Amino acid sequence: MSAPARLRLPRLTRTAHTVAEGWNRIGEQTAFYIKAVGEIGEAVGKYRVELLRLIAQMSLGVGALALIGGAAMVVSFIVMNAGALVGIVGFTQLSDVGIEALTGFFAAYINPRLVAPLITAVGLAATVGAGATAQIGAMRINEEIDALEVMGVRSVAYLVSTRVLAGVIVVVPLFCLSAILTNVTSRVVVRYGYGQSVGVYDHYFTTFLQPTDMIWALVQVTLQGAVIMLVHTYYGFTASGGPAGVGEATGRAVRTSLIVATLVTMVAGMILYGRSGNFHLSG
Amino acid sequence: MVAATALRKPIREIGGFFALSLDMLVALLNKPFAIREFLEQSWFVARVSLVPSITLTIPFNAFVVFILNVLLFEIGAADASGTGAALAVITQTGPFTTVLVVGGAAATAICADLGARTVREEIDAMRVMGIDPAQRLLVPRVMALTVNALLLNGVVCFVGLAGTYAFAVYVNNVNPGSFAASLTLITGLPDTVISFVKATLFGMTAGLVACYKGITVGGGPQGVGNAVNETVVYTFLVLIVINTLVTTIGTTVTK
Repeated sequence: MSAPARLRLPRLTRTAHTVAEGWNRIGEQTAFYIKAVGEIGEAVGKYRVELLRLIAQMSLGVGALALIGGAAMVVSFIVMNAGALVGIVGFTQLSDVGIEALTGFFAAYINPRLVAPLITAVGLAATVGAGATAQIGAMRINEEIDALEVMGVRSVAYLVSTRVLAGVIVVVPLFCLSAILTNVTSRVVVRYGYGQSVGVYDHYFTTFLQPTDMIWALVQVTLQGAVIMLVHTYYGFTASGGPAGVGEATGRAVRTSLIVATLVTMVAGMILYGRSGNFHLSG
Repeated sequence: MVAATALRKPIREIGGFFALSLDMLVALLNKPFAIREFLEQSWFVARVSLVPSITLTIPFNAFVVFILNVLLFEIGAADASGTGAALAVITQTGPFTTVLVVGGAAATAICADLGARTVREEIDAMRVMGIDPAQRLLVPRVMALTVNALLLNGVVCFVGLAGTYAFAVYVNNVNPGSFAASLTLITGLPDTVISFVKATLFGMTAGLVACYKGITVGGGPQGVGNAVNETVVYTFLVLIVINTLVTTIGTTVTK
């Protein structure tokens, strides 16, 4: 008869285990991400039909969100509200100091640099990202992923790499849509909500809008798309614990991807824009 | 015929949502209030959302202030860096980060928990035993989210202001004194009150959406996953509309 095993330093051992587990999880995630990115070539070569199907599904397909339309609808709705907000805040705050004429300038500066990339990231994580976690997580719980592997399908290439690539491709038209919508809604709000003349708004808007800002924002959003899809597919791929597990994985994926995407936006923004605004105020 | 069915579903969903919300309002007035469940849920929500809110607030506000500072430097108004930071953090990014955390972290966790209970038919069992799930489970959760959103907004605003201060002073070399002095130039008590009103409304709405989606789950793991996905999307949609409305009303009223 052996005595029940007892830890010598229970609390310390447990803390050490938690730390080690966290450390291991970072390693596992990194390995998963490298594998997913590395197998993109294979995904393009072997699973082209699946890739095209995913692109169509992510951009316009309704999937789980049958109620209100797909990612395009959700992102454009969120972005329109943000654009309206820029118009409202810009006009009211600038008129406090008596320079409401410069609202067009404010919108031309804030929309491409702040609103379009940050808000598009939120929309992407909520729609395309969370959808991918729910899908892959349910496949994991139903042991469909194991079945794929038994059949000789490379599960990471087939499920993850295709989704990452599709996400990055879908981001480009989505961003173009959201960039147009933010600027249009700001203009509409300032024109019809506050009654500023369109000539004044357009003059300052077109004078100070920098086309390069739009390109940098596109770079930021593409990076976000890749990061968001990687995080969400990881959490879906490693979901466990029945139906509740899928839900929890989706929630955890959303909050992780939002944090990581914001971090990426910040670092990319600082690198791309530097300290100068590049606008020529003296005319 | 197809169009009619497609149209009927959203209307039915909206109706169901309002019906459940009314049920919860009635259950809130009925005694006894499930105080133990409320405390447990509050602690759960706080635990789930505190770390994400801090880690999300710091880069989010740092980026916003970085962009605003570039603009202020360019027009020679580096002294007003604090004004821009306070305006951004208190009126917009603070409540917005609270939305993201409450919707992304807390509401999803609550929806997943309720969804799992619904799938395991625990909710039906409660009904069979004559216990009203709205009173016992849903009301405490909505209240917990509401209270927590209010408190989280305080944390987010504090961390946001501290973070932007550090960023402006140590990265952009703004004078600390002028940063602190210019904080209250445009942003005053009314804006702060509006900010907290917004956060409370966000918490309540996120709670209602999460409870509705969680208790109407159907169809196993995929169903729960979809419900959580829909919770995130709907809370973000509803909250961003509330944000625009309250901002418009607030700027008009405080003028």
